[in-house]
Amino acid sequence: MTSTTASTIPDPIRSGLQRGWRVRGGAHGPLPARITCDVAIIGSGAGAGITAELLTHAGLQVVLVEEGPLKSSSDFRQLESEAYPSLYQESAGRKTADKAITILQGRCVGGSTTVNWTSSFRTPPTTLEHWQQHFGLTDYTEAALAPWFAQAEQRLNIGPWLTPANRNNEVLRAGARRLGISAAGIQRNVKGCWNLGSCGMGCPTNAKQSMLVTTIPTALDRGATLLVETRADAFVVGHGQVQALVCTPVAGNGAPVHGAAPTRIVARHFVVAGGAINSPALLMRSGVPDPHRLLGKRTFLHPVVISAATFDERVEAWSGAPQTLYSDHFLHSQPIDGPMGYKLEAPPMHPVIVSTTLTGHGQAQADLLKQFPQTQGLLALLRDGFHADSPGGTVQLRDDGSPVLDYPLNDYVMDGARRAFLSMAEIQFAAGARQVSPVHEMARQYTSWAQAREAIQALPMKPLLTRVVSAHVMGGCAMAGHERQGVVRPDGVHWQLANLSVHDGSLFPTSIGANPQLSVYGVANRLATGLAMSLTGRDVQLVA
Amino acid sequence: MERRSLLKLGVGAAALLALAGGGVALFQPGLAAGRLTDSGKRVFEAVARAVLDGSLPRAASEQRAALSAQLKRLDDVILAFPAAVQAELSQLLAILSNGAGRRLLAGLSTDWPDASVAEIQAAFDDMRLSGLAARQQAYHALRDLTNAAFYADASAWRLMGYPGPRPI
Ligand SMILES: Cc1cc2nc3c(=O)[nH]c(=O)nc-3n(C[C@H](O)[C@H](O)[C@H](O)COP(=O)(O)OP(=O)(O)OC[C@H]3O[C@@H](n4cnc5c(N)ncnc54)[C@H](O)[C@@H]3O)c2cc1C
Repeated sequence: MTSTTASTIPDPIRSGLQRGWRVRGGAHGPLPARITCDVAIIGSGAGAGITAELLTHAGLQVVLVEEGPLKSSSDFRQLESEAYPSLYQESAGRKTADKAITILQGRCVGGSTTVNWTSSFRTPPTTLEHWQQHFGLTDYTEAALAPWFAQAEQRLNIGPWLTPANRNNEVLRAGARRLGISAAGIQRNVKGCWNLGSCGMGCPTNAKQSMLVTTIPTALDRGATLLVETRADAFVVGHGQVQALVCTPVAGNGAPVHGAAPTRIVARHFVVAGGAINSPALLMRSGVPDPHRLLGKRTFLHPVVISAATFDERVEAWSGAPQTLYSDHFLHSQPIDGPMGYKLEAPPMHPVIVSTTLTGHGQAQADLLKQFPQTQGLLALLRDGFHADSPGGTVQLRDDGSPVLDYPLNDYVMDGARRAFLSMAEIQFAAGARQVSPVHEMARQYTSWAQAREAIQALPMKPLLTRVVSAHVMGGCAMAGHERQGVVRPDGVHWQLANLSVHDGSLFPTSIGANPQLSVYGVANRLATGLAMSLTGRDVQLVA
Repeated sequence: MERRSLLKLGVGAAALLALAGGGVALFQPGLAAGRLTDSGKRVFEAVARAVLDGSLPRAASEQRAALSAQLKRLDDVILAFPAAVQAELSQLLAILSNGAGRRLLAGLSTDWPDASVAEIQAAFDDMRLSGLAARQQAYHALRDLTNAAFYADASAWRLMGYPGPRPI
């Protein structure tokens, strides 16, 4: 680990290591050739963290396998140049097969929770009703899940954000109010937040209650083993069971460490929590039974389109808590299985993200970026997976076994994207924007709502012309009440392999229709509590 | 293996390669061991002149220094990518450094070091609005990587009025 600023902020990871946490891999020492434990968990993100805390509480010997590095507050210097290569999948440049969508996902201890923006929503009741009706998840009711969410909220300090919204977010509220559209505050999982705005680069003050500073330290204090810079390559399957997990030490860019020997983990039970895309890929590499050909299918992204606005006054969208206000107006104005609805939020902006996401080159780009301090951004999260024309994407394996998501942006999705561009531009003008530019290769800076409306209606809504991004990957190992519809059962256990469970965002049979972290936390809480009971007979809880 | 991952760049790129007449053997790889080769550097230096036009220093010697710093940063950005991404990028650069490939994929008749900023920018405008996915993909890859390397550096922040991280 590199030493950085002479910060006085206590670093829970470094002190844990000093206390003797069992961490191996990378700079923490070579992996043993063979490990035996009760439960091996793949990943250390949202689903893995919750699961590790609960299983160690039940007295189980747990091993966590994480392909990314172990970084912590002393390493987080709020620099995109350091954060993207070290904390994100594919250096924050992961793309769908046709390169039309850029996907942000974490790849470090804490997974995406180490770099996420802390917005916390329970799974919307309409989404749960859809799962009950269409996927046989009859016990996924709002009432049944409420206590699991409540515990996760308490454990991770999820609550209202009482600091005034930054101006980037305030634009959403002001514009929505002028148009008579509802907007409200977003709950966040922070404790003593400094309002820096650099959540996406790792929290340097440990305010964000990510898995990195909550459940993972708890599990390690209870004797769990953490293997870092170690990729779970494949399960060995035989006699209707997972027999072992084979892992490889990997370098910073994911390449196998030259000459390093693989590690074989033998466990009673295996929990896959590598996140959507990577979890189905692991199961695909392992050749697990997939009689209904569901594995890696129906992978959802909440495809995001963005609208940039310029104001006369400074917005400083890099500064202050990232997403603190939202509007669900356009999720509720259509039936859930009608034309695609979308949730509106105002994302944080930093130089690399902005310069690669906005369009243009040369002088035009230089002029646009000069306006950065006056630039405001809105994003629309398109709710995918509820309509027959929204089957999501499919995970495929490259020649080297690494996953790539094929996600066709069809006319149904692009119709939603066009309506979202219209809504965002109207809100931005209503809030006083001087110019609005939907992020599309053919768009210009429009100076009035009338002009923008006409232009957006005429924009060809095609992949690679419309810029589309995602930070919410879901599905691919769907749970369902019937074997024909799901990879895993409603309790998270694989339909064909009894000692294998999935506990992460890949479980969801559709997208969530809200930022997914709390959905992963709540569902993993319920599933891991059930798993602890079935393995030990003990009833454990996330919070006493 | 080389050829298979090239196909993933899009059917268009494969057709272009066939048209360019060479097969992989005629092409100089754009990367070697994850670092830009000389031919890869030639492409990216020209790309930087065009994409960063308006942000690079105007004085010749300062611009040369800025471009060499840019190529160094780009090397670091590329090195952090997984092997599959590096392989695709290497092939893209290989096609673009070959005369026929450059004309077909970028629509640029002048070789990279000799092309004017205006010529390269015109080629880029055709690429990004092209009906051929491979040309659009190539434009996005070149432009986004260039921006990622350039704007990650504190020296570029003042051009954007970004004050940098708040001290803690
Ligand atoms: C930039 C960003 C901002 C976000 N903002 C928000 C937000 O504000 N609110 C919200 O609700 N959600 C947000 N999200 C999404 C949210 O963080 C994720 O939905 C959630 O963390 C997913 O949990 P998970 O358990 O499925 O996977 P993750 O948390 O992504 O964890 C998966 C982990 O598994 C590891 N892994 C994968 N495969 C392997 C393997 N084979 N071997 C070993 N390790 C492996 C990965 O490296 C990773 O660390 C954001 C995400 C990002 C990237």
